[in-house]
Amino acid sequence: MKPVPQITQLTRPYWDGAAAGELRVQRCAKCSGRSLYARPWCPFCWAPELTWEKVSGRGDVIACTIVTQAPYESYARDGRYAIAIIKLEEGPQMMANIVNCPLEKVKVGMKVGVVFEKRGDITVPQFAPL
Amino acid sequence: MAHDTAIAGIYEMKPGRYPDLNPIEMYYQVLSGAIAQWGIKPQDVDGLFTTPAGMAVGAADIATHEKLGETLGIRPIISETLYAGGASFGAMVQRAEAMIRAGLCESILCLGAGKFGKVGTGGAEVLARMASEPNFEFPYGTYIVSNYAMVASAYMAAYNVPREALARVSVSQRRWAVRNPDSIMGPKGELTIEEVLASRPICSPFNMLDCSVPCEGGGAVLVTTAAKARRLAKQPAYVLGFGEAHMHSSISQAESLVDTGAVRTARMAFAQAGLTPADIQVAQLYDAFSATPLILMENVGLCGRGAAPDFVMSGATDPGGSLPTNTGGGLLSFGHTGDASGMSVLIEGLRQCMNEAGNRQIKKADIGLIHVYGGMLAEHATLIVGREP
Repeated sequence: MKPVPQITQLTRPYWDGAAAGELRVQRCAKCSGRSLYARPWCPFCWAPELTWEKVSGRGDVIACTIVTQAPYESYARDGRYAIAIIKLEEGPQMMANIVNCPLEKVKVGMKVGVVFEKRGDITVPQFAPL
Repeated sequence: MAHDTAIAGIYEMKPGRYPDLNPIEMYYQVLSGAIAQWGIKPQDVDGLFTTPAGMAVGAADIATHEKLGETLGIRPIISETLYAGGASFGAMVQRAEAMIRAGLCESILCLGAGKFGKVGTGGAEVLARMASEPNFEFPYGTYIVSNYAMVASAYMAAYNVPREALARVSVSQRRWAVRNPDSIMGPKGELTIEEVLASRPICSPFNMLDCSVPCEGGGAVLVTTAAKARRLAKQPAYVLGFGEAHMHSSISQAESLVDTGAVRTARMAFAQAGLTPADIQVAQLYDAFSATPLILMENVGLCGRGAAPDFVMSGATDPGGSLPTNTGGGLLSFGHTGDASGMSVLIEGLRQCMNEAGNRQIKKADIGLIHVYGGMLAEHATLIVGREP
């Protein structure tokens, strides 16, 4: 199986969100800043009052690559695959594979939306063209 | 900056594969060569900086400084294992100079030595885990090449960079490697853009010949007072300006993939030196992949934004060009010496400054720029070095 995250108390709301079909980011109650990945405080003002908030799941690919030589066996079985950095409409950036899309169509600037992939008991966010 | 400190000695072992040496013994190999070449004794050194032995093979030893101090039979006043990836070695020189200037000690030995797991022996997965956020990035099949390939994609999209420009970086650096008897790839002869484009695809846009060549190696730099440096070296190197910046950790969290921390560090270094990019005669720009020298060249101001591809395509960075760059062949063709890669980049810059570059010596190398970075473009150091204080 492909690698899965080790879920901790801090990161659980993110992965619970994915399992429920929601992409979540952290939101600061003091400065309203939104951030990823999971932190105990806001990276903009250091306030500890963070909540998890559902976001639209839409964003832009700001960087991408088509991997021909995979780093480990579970991905090598896929043949070529796409990885991208996505800037969400709400601001935070994250990494994911681009799925449900011919590889030659994966480009910087493309609009994508979140989809979810089950890996055993864990659900990981992925992105597909909008 | 007060120029009461200088670099008095540089030494680098020949890069290659050293199956009989364990990670700490790689440092012994470096030290044996440095001691013999510089002719120094235990009483000549009262400080030691080293990177952790065994980092790139997944067995980092954070007490490397203790072991090396004991093996050397010295009792230094200052001794540390520090780590900022490829930027470690810039940081070492800066810290050594600050401490010497403050009168805390007189001579600090800065060391780096690296193993590099052979491709296909599980080494790729070890490095992949180091290169990625373990829970939010690694599950997506990331590794070092894919992360830098993404950086390249952002840069290429921002300025409509042709694929050939990346390949041309590899071509330029191979031309330098051919002139460097210690380089790994020099013996293979010059390269063409077509050969780079025809080499095996790894992660778009990178093919095999866009990637640095994994090998093992290491080096040493002696930082001391200017007075002592003038006794030890025919031509000491003076650090005229320095800048350091620590940005993100995970590549997906970079505030910009195109304007890296090098923009800040170069600004700091030029301000401190009282110089401008037009003063730079030779440059060393850390090149784990073919795209990074293009990005760094623009970031540090040696080219305007988006101008590096044309600049490199014109031959400006080649032997005989207007801005000789990565003059030892760089990590692409000299070899990526594992944990010591930043040391290799630093030493080539110092070698040109100290007039020790043999048949690839640049005549006009009075002012040089060295940029090293660590992690996923995370940690940056720029040094401007000169022949006069």
